[in-house]
Amino acid sequence: MDTSVAPPLPVANPLTEFFWEGTRAHKLLILRCQSCGHFVHYPRPVCERCLSEDLAPEEVSGNATLYSYTITMKPWHPFWVDKVPYVLASVELPEQPDLKMLTNIVECEHDALEIGMPVEVTFRQVAAELTLPFFKPVGS
Amino acid sequence: MGQTPRVAAVGVGYSTTGRRTGLNSRELAIQAAKAAMADAGMTPKDIDGVAVLWAVSGPAPPGVESVQALDIAQMMGFAPVGWYSDGAGPAYIGTALQAIAAIRAGFCHTCITFRVINQRLSSADLEQGQDETPAAGDSQFTMPFGQLLPLQAIAAMPMQRHMAVYGTTEEQFAHHAVTQRYHASLNEDAIFRDPLTVDDFLAMPYITSPLRILDCDYPVDSGSAVIYTTEERARDFQHKPVFVESAAYSGKGYMAFEIEDMLESAPFHTAKQLWERTDLEPKDVDCAQLYDGFSIITFQWLEALGFCAPGEAGPFIEAGNTRLGGKLPLNTDGGACNVGRRHGTNFCIESVRQIRGQCGARQVPDANTSVWANAVGPFSGAVLMVGD
Ligand SMILES: [Zn+2]
Repeated sequence: MDTSVAPPLPVANPLTEFFWEGTRAHKLLILRCQSCGHFVHYPRPVCERCLSEDLAPEEVSGNATLYSYTITMKPWHPFWVDKVPYVLASVELPEQPDLKMLTNIVECEHDALEIGMPVEVTFRQVAAELTLPFFKPVGS
Repeated sequence: MGQTPRVAAVGVGYSTTGRRTGLNSRELAIQAAKAAMADAGMTPKDIDGVAVLWAVSGPAPPGVESVQALDIAQMMGFAPVGWYSDGAGPAYIGTALQAIAAIRAGFCHTCITFRVINQRLSSADLEQGQDETPAAGDSQFTMPFGQLLPLQAIAAMPMQRHMAVYGTTEEQFAHHAVTQRYHASLNEDAIFRDPLTVDDFLAMPYITSPLRILDCDYPVDSGSAVIYTTEERARDFQHKPVFVESAAYSGKGYMAFEIEDMLESAPFHTAKQLWERTDLEPKDVDCAQLYDGFSIITFQWLEALGFCAPGEAGPFIEAGNTRLGGKLPLNTDGGACNVGRRHGTNFCIESVRQIRGQCGARQVPDANTSVWANAVGPFSGAVLMVGD
């Protein structure tokens, strides 16, 4: 791992630090309402469905489907100079309709990318303190 | 019957517009104000409200001056004003609808509205440098993954999904760009007027697939102004008034394009409200001026407003419906891709000029109804305008 250049680093706050602690431990955690079971992402202090403020991180399956993607050709930040083209993607988690997160798709030929394809989480350490949840085709 | 009390647009104007004009924000605003007042045949004392949208987001970089509503009011002799606002962003539609609402509510009777843009604040400039901003707030879930410019999540990913779900083709995006360029060729004020072909478009490289540079508006220095007033006063000025028949503004989701519905976002809710507030229907519209910050946004508005079914914008455009002489002439000034970025203001101004019959070679015959729309994703707004 070349740590000389890092990507923009997350500024975790009390509401989000669980997410980054989770990725460092190779767990994908999403905030979940402890009253009604609704997942809340991005993290917020209240459940949009029942207004409970009793929320806690829970590990999700790590499965997803590809909602959409773009192959970015230009490095708009020094970290990506040797990483273009890269596949920026929005994936939908099966735990709840419309529960999405942004990620990268890795270990996939570009012409094999297909919206709706099943993908699974894979963790990559990209800086000393930062591990990102990327996704790859299931079974790759 | 549309929304009452009725509000009319009675003056429109632009500053000098272009790349690195050397004009600062105040100068852009002053030029636009003078142009709009001259267009209306107004003096400063006719105006008692000011709304300006200047900021994009975050603090201005060193050397870029802001311009604020009260600053304009004092510089231009409008003060004291009865109402002012530093804009509801993030695009001109919010500022326009605030002003229209303030007039309807009686806080002021005649309000000048602005969108002032410094090219240096535009995201394209990030391409020249590096954004050192750490990933705070929700951006901690986007920037570390390489979501660095709005065009990735706002444009490229929705395009990709539109293509996958509806069968939209890159050729159809090309046809849209070609049609807008044709309209720009008829507009002396457009920046890009040379003919463009589908092959020219397709020969351009992707920036972030399937998006090409010609799918994007063109960042410039620009000041744009529109003056609105009450129906009671609307006929006292130089040109025939253009009335707001109905207007709507809506939002949903977090300001997070990358995790929202990329096909049926806020414009669909805005459009529903817009049509509920008038007896007019899509078939009554003579021309449409639909935001083209990115081409896919125009596609989504065509579908949201009911000019074609969801998913049908590509074939609708490819069949020539949006070209002058077609069923629904669209972005008749050439769009922000060709006249430069004004975050929606040009579409209001083009609506006014079409309904007045001032558009020369690009005039839609007997245009009396125009809809203009702005923004996409979590927030959006639209205005239906009609002649007297
Ligand atoms: Zn709940």
